[in-house]
Amino acid sequence: MFHLYPDLLNLYGDRGNVMAFARRCRWRGIDVEVRQISLGEKVSFKEADFLFLGGGSDREQNLMAGDLAARKEQLREAVEEGLVVLAICGGYQLLGKYYRTLDGKEIPGLGILDLYTRAGRERLIGNVAVEMEINGMTHRVVGFENHAGRTFLGDLKPLGKVLAGRGNNGEDGFEGARYNNVFCSYLHGPLLPKNTVLADNFIALALKRRGWREELRPLDDSFEKAAVDTMLKRIL
Amino acid sequence: MIVRFILALWAARLAMFVARVTGRGKGSSLPGKIALKIYPRILKQLGRQIKKGIIVVTGTNGKTTTNNMIAGIVGDNKGSGVIINREGANLITGVTAAFIRAAGPFGGLHADYACLEVDEASFPGVVREITPDIVVVTNFFRDQLDRYGELDKTIALVKDALKKLDSVRLVLNADDPLVAQLGRVTGKPSVFFGLARHPGVSGTGSAAREAKFCPFCGAELAYSYYQYSQLGNYKCPGCEFARPQTDVEGVDPGVDGMLVSCRVRFRQGNMYPLQIPVTGLYNLYNGLAACSVGLLLDIDMDGIRSSLAGYLPATGRMEKFLYRGKPVLLNLVKNPTGFNEGLSTLLSVPAERVNVLIAINDNDADGRDISWLWDVDFEVLSGAGEKFGTFVCSGRRAWEMAVRLKYAGVREETVTVLEDFDQAVRTALEGTGDMSYFLATYTALWPVERILSGYAQRERTLPESVPSISGSVKSVR
Repeated sequence: MFHLYPDLLNLYGDRGNVMAFARRCRWRGIDVEVRQISLGEKVSFKEADFLFLGGGSDREQNLMAGDLAARKEQLREAVEEGLVVLAICGGYQLLGKYYRTLDGKEIPGLGILDLYTRAGRERLIGNVAVEMEINGMTHRVVGFENHAGRTFLGDLKPLGKVLAGRGNNGEDGFEGARYNNVFCSYLHGPLLPKNTVLADNFIALALKRRGWREELRPLDDSFEKAAVDTMLKRIL
Repeated sequence: MIVRFILALWAARLAMFVARVTGRGKGSSLPGKIALKIYPRILKQLGRQIKKGIIVVTGTNGKTTTNNMIAGIVGDNKGSGVIINREGANLITGVTAAFIRAAGPFGGLHADYACLEVDEASFPGVVREITPDIVVVTNFFRDQLDRYGELDKTIALVKDALKKLDSVRLVLNADDPLVAQLGRVTGKPSVFFGLARHPGVSGTGSAAREAKFCPFCGAELAYSYYQYSQLGNYKCPGCEFARPQTDVEGVDPGVDGMLVSCRVRFRQGNMYPLQIPVTGLYNLYNGLAACSVGLLLDIDMDGIRSSLAGYLPATGRMEKFLYRGKPVLLNLVKNPTGFNEGLSTLLSVPAERVNVLIAINDNDADGRDISWLWDVDFEVLSGAGEKFGTFVCSGRRAWEMAVRLKYAGVREETVTVLEDFDQAVRTALEGTGDMSYFLATYTALWPVERILSGYAQRERTLPESVPSISGSVKSVR
């Protein structure tokens, strides 16, 4: 697993996503190596099974954008080849075409996904519940959003439908985006530890790429389920 | 205007009275809100009457403790009336209420000093109304992000507000680059406090660390050591920004049970022993900040030391209780850095076995986003083996806390979730430990404290029970 720029993008408990992925592998006896990637470090995305990209404050986001711009082609190739990616908030926006600021300036993104973001005056903040389909089953996922950007999808599937909260842009009722094995979302909270279905989905996808054909061994998720149910009961 | 002024005053007083008789709305912002609504300039009018000095404490952690310490020092040594907003009522409404409470029926004030803790985001609004003579900035950590946006913005707010103040003196934490930069960017006369290097410093920073980059040139700051989080001895490789020379420095800090101590070096000269009946190294920073303010007000070091030696913690700032002869500690937690400090205290308490209660709410005052729990290093608990009896998780986000502990490597069978505070407090107290340690977020703190004081006795640290100054000289060498 590659965790991109953890020393830079350490807002909002994003590292919880990394912990959840790694723990849930190890609890099943699957070896996992978490590599923390720093700015400028030489890496090949071909070596990764799962790549996590979080968000940060404006200054840190600019540093990350500059660094990833230099790796753009490599990342695009990996995504086309099915690299499993989770991008949250700022990382999500960065994969798109551009971010338009309030005064109309367009900051180019990596252009890997067909989406764009424009800044809004009000930040969209609060608890969110999303309904999404994973492996043909409908699941409810909860998290917390905090973003000024409004993201609009082109020829892309959203991650899910907003049941409570604002989602991508507060207008169209959708949250996140999906393309190949790339999953984007505005939900932190963090997303993976309590929403185990998502965490296990990433593990399964990553293993499948390595030729693993077995089902994942189920774990006792009673704490996680209770945490999700508490929030669903409250916000729906 | 005078009519509206008095009307505002009386309306707020009435709201305070109603809150007191009905016992509801403790720490409510309503009286201040009412007064500001009726007469928006009421705070300006009241603040102007302070005769000698207004001291404002802002920053992320330690505001209440530092402000209470300062008020103690000023009250003990200057003798005259001090207005203070106690117990975290630190928005403009709380500050206004503190003045109203102290005012006479026609709005007259007889106070020489005001000691005010002010929330970072409220700071610009408050100092537009009242003009502080001294501003203390304790530290900047990420806190309740969903309310403020991001930390950079909070710092910019404070910075811009400070620049507009004419004759202010600053008391700044030298060890926190985010705070220390304020001396240079505002150009205001500044006194710096900090801790000297000691054997407990670390070579690496924690995960929750802020401020990796120079605020002036953006280069990555180089640290020779860390005290905790981003506090430490830093230097920018790209420009001349570095930890400033301290005016008030704590040397040889020690944490001994329920007492912290150090020697205070003033302007690289004389050393004075200092002892404060509180726990945790971070409280030494609060003590050094208070010392600095005392020195700026020309109070002698003996007076400052004896005030601090008699310091009583406010609600939930490591408050002590006794339950069937066993000690119970209650501590407020509100952000990763404070929580990490709380955990390191928890690991060092002198007990065989500790019952732990963690109460997490997500109301506005707690921060609605609880993802900060994932920036706290709970992993330190998993290595402590038999030290902990049970972990009781409570509050509106009790389950979230349980999940966090699980992923930190704490065994699930040692975790009990009881969302109800009363059940949670009773279960924790009845645990197998010879001591209990309670951690609660802001809005969970009040109910937990109320319930706890029903079962356990509050332990008062009376001034005479605090070791005398001569005794403290011995213990700090």
